[in-house]
Amino acid sequence: MYQRFEPIAGIAGVIIDAVMDSPDMPQDPALLLKIRLAVEESVENIVNYAYENGSGYLEAATERSGSLLAITLKDAGTPFNPLDREDPDITLSAEERPIGGLGIFLCKQLMDSVEYAYRDGCNVLTLRKEV
Amino acid sequence: MNVQIEQNENQYRVAPAGRLDTNSAPQFQEALEPLMQAVQAHVTVDCSGLEYTSSQGLRLFLMLQKSLSKNGGSLVLTDMQPAVKEVFDITGFSNIITIR
Repeated sequence: MYQRFEPIAGIAGVIIDAVMDSPDMPQDPALLLKIRLAVEESVENIVNYAYENGSGYLEAATERSGSLLAITLKDAGTPFNPLDREDPDITLSAEERPIGGLGIFLCKQLMDSVEYAYRDGCNVLTLRKEV
Repeated sequence: MNVQIEQNENQYRVAPAGRLDTNSAPQFQEALEPLMQAVQAHVTVDCSGLEYTSSQGLRLFLMLQKSLSKNGGSLVLTDMQPAVKEVFDITGFSNIITIR
């Protein structure tokens, strides 16, 4: 299923709900929660940071081949590879842990794979999971 | 999401219900603001009604933990649903915040 949203400022919730409503999604509620969280963290990043004024677009596509679910999020904003960010050190104490920086880490942990590519002037993030 | 806070002297019981995500995080943060300023506040968060937390929710729990320990208080989270507990486990938050 393919959907396009523009402009995206302030409508992260709408985009997340629309992606999660795709018929490609599995039925299992526990699995859906994990996918939703991964989608939320990814979409929030794009809505909040891809475009300077949030006026750009986001294309979301979901695809099922057998039991493999792929979710692709594409924007034409500032080139940004979220996977470049170092994973947080989860062994630190509460006092030492910085606030934030957990979104993409969570996404990577919850999905089987997360890939980033910069193609034709677009950021393309692909989340995959066996469902 | 809905947040209830009960206070008995320096003991606080916080009960968030629903989904803690980017939409609801500002409301939860506002509710927690007085506790982040309080001195020697002992806070129990009843998580039984919390269905979901994103990184925005985790961020607030860490802010609360930091400010309470700095001000001589304490934080305990109780009755966490499995999906929420998993997020705390993945991020190592289970090791830095007391969960019962």
